[in-house]
Amino acid sequence: MKKNSHSRAGYFFVVPTVILFCVFLIFPMLNSFRLSLYSWNIMEPMKWVGLDNFKTLFQDKEFLASWGRTLQFTLTSVVLLLIVSFIFALMLDSRSLKSRNLFQAVYFIPVVLVTPAVGVVWKLMFQTTGILNAGIFAPIFGATVPWLESQNIALYSIMLVQLWISSGYYMVMFIAGLQGIPEEYYESAVIDGASWFRRLFSITIPLLKPVFLLVFVTSVLFVFGQFALPYTISQGGPNYATELMTLFIYRNAFKYLKVGYASTASIFYFLTMIVFSIIQIRLFSDKKKR
Amino acid sequence: MNIYRTKKTVGTIILHLVVAFIGLIMLFPFIWMILGSFKYNKDVLSIPVNLLPPEWNFASYKNAFAAGPFGRYYLNSVIVLVFALVINVVTCTTSGYGLAKFKFKGRDFFFTLILSTLMIPIQTIVVPLFVLISKMKLVNTYAGIIIPLSLSGFGVFLMRQFFYSVPDELLEAARIDGAGEFYIFRKISIPISTVAIISLTIFHSQYVWKNLLWPLVVATKTNLRTLTVGISLFSGVFFTPYPEQLAMSVSACIPIVVLFIFLSKYFIRGTAMTGIKG
Repeated sequence: MKKNSHSRAGYFFVVPTVILFCVFLIFPMLNSFRLSLYSWNIMEPMKWVGLDNFKTLFQDKEFLASWGRTLQFTLTSVVLLLIVSFIFALMLDSRSLKSRNLFQAVYFIPVVLVTPAVGVVWKLMFQTTGILNAGIFAPIFGATVPWLESQNIALYSIMLVQLWISSGYYMVMFIAGLQGIPEEYYESAVIDGASWFRRLFSITIPLLKPVFLLVFVTSVLFVFGQFALPYTISQGGPNYATELMTLFIYRNAFKYLKVGYASTASIFYFLTMIVFSIIQIRLFSDKKKR
Repeated sequence: MNIYRTKKTVGTIILHLVVAFIGLIMLFPFIWMILGSFKYNKDVLSIPVNLLPPEWNFASYKNAFAAGPFGRYYLNSVIVLVFALVINVVTCTTSGYGLAKFKFKGRDFFFTLILSTLMIPIQTIVVPLFVLISKMKLVNTYAGIIIPLSLSGFGVFLMRQFFYSVPDELLEAARIDGAGEFYIFRKISIPISTVAIISLTIFHSQYVWKNLLWPLVVATKTNLRTLTVGISLFSGVFFTPYPEQLAMSVSACIPIVVLFIFLSKYFIRGTAMTGIKG
């Protein structure tokens, strides 16, 4: 009897939140499938178009380019993030480094800054007369880099900022992992005469595999949804060279008021994420088998 | 032995130099942002480059706030932050507690449902969410900005994991004394979860304070814009006054940076924790 009433109380704790999640997250997600079947500009009545939006989407060069660009941006940034934040962690967790906490805090500062503010600052620093060109590249190399003017470079410039704002975050995850490795492993390896590189590749990296996977999973989700950086730094330009899918959806829905079409693009955005997750789950379960 | 030791000190010195140099790079844009906000417009992008302001301009902050909307944007951001955090902490603690400490039909289903929302961040559903909010007549209202920003599947997960580690005996003892479930939650479970709640708050407040996309979409009226929207859309009639824009950027960053300086352990430990738990 007692047990029963105690269990029922669980509903009071959980159900209100579940309702909020259903109304504001899960219902919109499902509704995007319905919206994708209509042509609608919010003001006029919705017009049923069947699968026309999907047909248009597959032939839309702008969309396909933006999809490929988003994959390129995400995968390149994530690989760079893994490498850079791991190296940062190795340096900042090193026994021989003094005032480790201070340095870790310094490397973490870009993480806490407000993203659009960061975008504004980097946009100015990327200008031809900005500090990067006029202060470093022109005097040292005698040439300026068209950071935001070149269609081939602009996406990489934004990756650079992405790397700057998030490497400190993943560094902290790696440091937590490094501190979980028992000291004895290294001690016995040193006695056996293993070099630093040998220890890195035979002890540190294999033991940190779960952390690498975790950083991979979280950073893919994070970078894939990047909106504020390209929006504030380049507005998707020059000539759409930095228009990620988030910007494509935003532009179609809220500038051109193509609600149905933008919903169709959102579905593809979502499906891409699902495919990413399936790959990640595969990676995780592989790990378990070993 | 001697050679070994010199080698080691040389290595240590190089390590310190490299770490300090990269540290400078990590700090530089932030420092440049602060210095830029004290320059005059002509000096921000001038050639030759000047790091320090040639003449100090102390008016940019006053101008940015006096230009009217910026003070308003700031206030809006604070309002959104406070309410979103309250809703977030209430929903995450109650549901996390319910999912961890009670056995009832459908619990696992509810948990899976909430976890599945990790796959639908706001960017994915921004269009249908806007349609929903406009059907509810909440476009250009605080509620419309706040509610979607206050929900976090990850936060629920975090609190559920935390409450899971709280021993049942503690709650059982109170039940035997005849305490009601809500009383136990408020008087026992919440007080012991202070650290977890602080981590959750730090984590989620950054999300709300930094978010651009949702307020950009849902608040089209100038007087409802948040800081992030104000900074992104800021421009003058004939030219962009950079020092004012940088002053806005600095003002937006300062609260978190100050919080970070005082609570850096919480920030860093929280990140490490989300890593281990996530």
